[in-house]
Amino acid sequence: MSDTEPVRIDDARWDRIVELVGDSANVCYQCGVCTAICPWGLFGTAGPNVRLLMRNAQLGLDDDKATEEALWLCTTCGACEEFCPRAVPVTDVIVGLRSLAFEERRAPERLEGVLWSLYENGNPDGFPPSGRMAWAADLDLSPASPSSDCLVYFGSAACYDPRLQRIGRAFRRVLQAAEVNFGVLEDEPDSGDVVRLVGEQGYLEECIHANLKTLEASGVHEIVTLSPHDYDMFKRIYPEHGGAFRVFHATEYVAQLVAHEALGFAEDKPQRALYHDPCYLGRHHDVYDAPRQVLGAMPGLELVEFADSRENALCCGGGGARMWLETKAGERFSDLRVQEAKELGIDLIITSCPYCIQMFEDSVRSLRVEGIEVRDVVEMAGAWGPHVPRQPPNIYEVCDFE
Amino acid sequence: MRTVVTVKVVPKSEEVSIDTVTMTLDREGARNELNRPDKNAIEMALQLTETHEGEVILLSMGPPLFEEHLRVGIGMGAHDAVLLSDRRFAGADTLPTSRALAEGIRRIGDVDLVLCGEESSDSATGQVPPGIAEWLGWPQLTYVTELRLLDDGRLAGKRDLSGGHEWIAVSLPAVVSVSLGCNSPRFPDFRRTRWAEKNLELKIWSADDLEVDPAELGIAGSPTIVDGVRQAPAPERRRERLEGPTRQVAARLAEHLRQFLRPEA
Amino acid sequence: MSDSTAATAPVAEHECAEHECLVLLEHEKGRLVNVSLEILGQARRMADLRGDEVVGLILGEHTKDLAREALAYGADRALCANSPLLAQYTSDGHAHVVGEILAQRRPNIVLFGATHNGRDVAGRLAVRLRTGLTADVTALEVEPESGLLIGEVPGFGGGILALVKCPERRPQMATVRPGIFEALEPGEPRGEIEPVTVTLTADMIRSEVLEVEEVERIDLTRAPVIVAVGGGAGGDLEPIERLAELLGGAVGATRVAVDNGWISRDHQIGQTGVSVRPKVCVCAGISGAVQFTCGVAGAETVIAIDSDPQAAMFDHADYGVVGDLFEVLNAVNKLLAEEESVASDGHEIPQAGTGGETEKGAVRATSAGLDT
Repeated sequence: MSDTEPVRIDDARWDRIVELVGDSANVCYQCGVCTAICPWGLFGTAGPNVRLLMRNAQLGLDDDKATEEALWLCTTCGACEEFCPRAVPVTDVIVGLRSLAFEERRAPERLEGVLWSLYENGNPDGFPPSGRMAWAADLDLSPASPSSDCLVYFGSAACYDPRLQRIGRAFRRVLQAAEVNFGVLEDEPDSGDVVRLVGEQGYLEECIHANLKTLEASGVHEIVTLSPHDYDMFKRIYPEHGGAFRVFHATEYVAQLVAHEALGFAEDKPQRALYHDPCYLGRHHDVYDAPRQVLGAMPGLELVEFADSRENALCCGGGGARMWLETKAGERFSDLRVQEAKELGIDLIITSCPYCIQMFEDSVRSLRVEGIEVRDVVEMAGAWGPHVPRQPPNIYEVCDFE
Repeated sequence: MRTVVTVKVVPKSEEVSIDTVTMTLDREGARNELNRPDKNAIEMALQLTETHEGEVILLSMGPPLFEEHLRVGIGMGAHDAVLLSDRRFAGADTLPTSRALAEGIRRIGDVDLVLCGEESSDSATGQVPPGIAEWLGWPQLTYVTELRLLDDGRLAGKRDLSGGHEWIAVSLPAVVSVSLGCNSPRFPDFRRTRWAEKNLELKIWSADDLEVDPAELGIAGSPTIVDGVRQAPAPERRRERLEGPTRQVAARLAEHLRQFLRPEA
Repeated sequence: MSDSTAATAPVAEHECAEHECLVLLEHEKGRLVNVSLEILGQARRMADLRGDEVVGLILGEHTKDLAREALAYGADRALCANSPLLAQYTSDGHAHVVGEILAQRRPNIVLFGATHNGRDVAGRLAVRLRTGLTADVTALEVEPESGLLIGEVPGFGGGILALVKCPERRPQMATVRPGIFEALEPGEPRGEIEPVTVTLTADMIRSEVLEVEEVERIDLTRAPVIVAVGGGAGGDLEPIERLAELLGGAVGATRVAVDNGWISRDHQIGQTGVSVRPKVCVCAGISGAVQFTCGVAGAETVIAIDSDPQAAMFDHADYGVVGDLFEVLNAVNKLLAEEESVASDGHEIPQAGTGGETEKGAVRATSAGLDT
């Protein structure tokens, strides 16, 4: 935009943007805290000008290069929302603008393939749908039914990535130790989190409606997810389309078991570890304490906090569909976290999101940092001798699941 | 410009099995999807309409279950769809299949261009596109990765060769087969798909609607027969470790690689 | 050109020259291509069971040397269709000339390479002749008494193998997958070279070659061979590039290799790179994280070389070598380079008296897909 040329506003386009973004952008008063707090700022000028993006959304302008690039850099970590003095839901604006870009085929081409894979194979990476539960073939998992205590939803990443399958196995070990009668969906569909973040509306609705039918047919009332992204979908997005389930993240569920002494940890081993708050568990849903309570109950485990933790936690960089978009070396958030662990001399990073785990392990590999391990809270629980400390008659009579 | 894109709905390859009692193919348990190269063909047709006005009509031969997938093609942006559906088409090899599709194209009428995926993932013959061209008496271009309409009205197509590529021009009407993965097929707009479900009647034609002797269709019209099927060795990786001194291992590896030493056509 | 629906009636079994097997031979830069030699080898083996004649058909502008080559590699007779109009492949040109020859000679069997051009013309001719065409065979047999051709074809992504026959119509046609059969050792060219009258005129060819471009670099997503490098190479890509060059393949890379600046990002394979479907993918120094392996899942054969015996890459490979990738690749490159220079020098057809009988033997198919 030059100094001498006036900006032309296209009313029709403005209307369309308002339609997609709703009232989200209205109350922004352009203070710029969002731009200041955006983690992209850690890499100098590499990042998006969020304030400008909001201004353009208010004016119905979105066709300048800065907005285009910024749109797809966003990981939807929510730092901007957390600190916005007017509580503007910035990520909703971003997703709304992405919808428009997607409609007009201005989205990164790679994401079209990801969506086709979700539609044809039920996962974003082109793996065959028939193989989704193959990893669990020897685990004898029960199909979800009205008599199940809860439904465990693994999610696409945890089903197809051999590294992440260990989390599913660990969770089963923990739940079995606590004598929880859980069920699974034999034909588990994808929750649609990537579809939403890409901004694709039409298929998202199809997806949610079909999944709600599947969930209702299973007869369960409680869903426990391994991924905070699936948690966000089932807890926040699905209810907008119907369906009434109680939704827990695995760490919340295990924390309740621990709090009511339905689960304890028999091992006692000295270990220092850092805990990383995933964006979709922490900032988006304020679940900071549950994972810390679970870890705190493990004898010998000493938890250290990152310099930026809880509301200030640095995003791993995998959200916002960025798992499928390339991030330049030297601009990866997860690298910073791994480097911090190295500087602190701590060789274990614990987190509770499959994307975070993939991002951190990727950083460990590409930075060639020897010896730093990454684990999920659930994996830790599975390895710490989970058992029932005393025999409650029925956990549902003892525990107060809200 | 009117473009017809021939489309096939195929079972997911990994879900097809052999019935060990009858020794025949069991497709019943498999999920279906749009044949992948056909999506590239639909995308190519839609891209042509972005620069040159026209309509894209999908044409397929198969049972009613194909309809849902044709609507997904409409969701991508195609304007209409025709399904040739009749028990008498069943069991066809590529000769009567290409014949039926050619007659369908004739009946649609005023067609300037036919685009096809290079081959289908099930039988993988790649023979239907040149077959259609021959039945219609039209020029053909196969294994095309890019298309351009020239100012003189001809169509230019890019074909890969070993070590490079060529551009060939043909006059329209013509039949073109499109290589798998040559473009990124747009994701369907499911709101359009849902609209199509309620508002767009797909044309369903039977053998009677085509001008062809039924004896030339289906099994009766097929010169080839399948005389037995078997499961190929599992597509799982072999995971075989090659051990021994380096020279030995290198010789084993060379066994697998030497066939590529001379460039192929 | 009018449409084909009113073409001649199909040829029935008893009306054909039942002891003729005709092979359409393709050529490039003055030599027959590999698949053509392989098909001649197989045709020779099948013909020897029945006393059939193997006829090689060559279309081009100058075909005499190619004809001699065909006779050295197993053909009994070489037909030369010479015309400037056949200097480059065109669908119309080839369909017209080959179609006429088939209509005159009525062979029992016609074989084509399952190359782009082979499938292009075979598909058209099958309709013109109203006969059966078996596509991309990975095994071929002929019944000695009846002359019936039986082809085994892969389908459903290679998971299912079907036996296909064409019992009544003639010729029986098949396109043959490259790399399946073995060419014979070349012998002295014995047999007849027969020129064929070409009635092709320029107005019959409805396509025009506008431009032919030779490109140095091969597109990763279309490469038949890929040699991929990961962190284990420590920056030295020479043996990887050499192997790719020898095999006419492309070099791929993991994100680690790209990040370290060893190679540009357009070589990256995987979740944020490209997915590839080569016939062979050699993975050197790659640990095998899922972000990479999902990009090579479509490769027909995967070979992994890495120093870490626990590397996950071995679970995603058909053949694994635990060892130093430089040692292994240098040894492989040396072997292949020797073979290549032998092949290019020693490609002369032996003169009379220097030996080399053509091999006769049983049918032998070497596709990995047929190992049981």
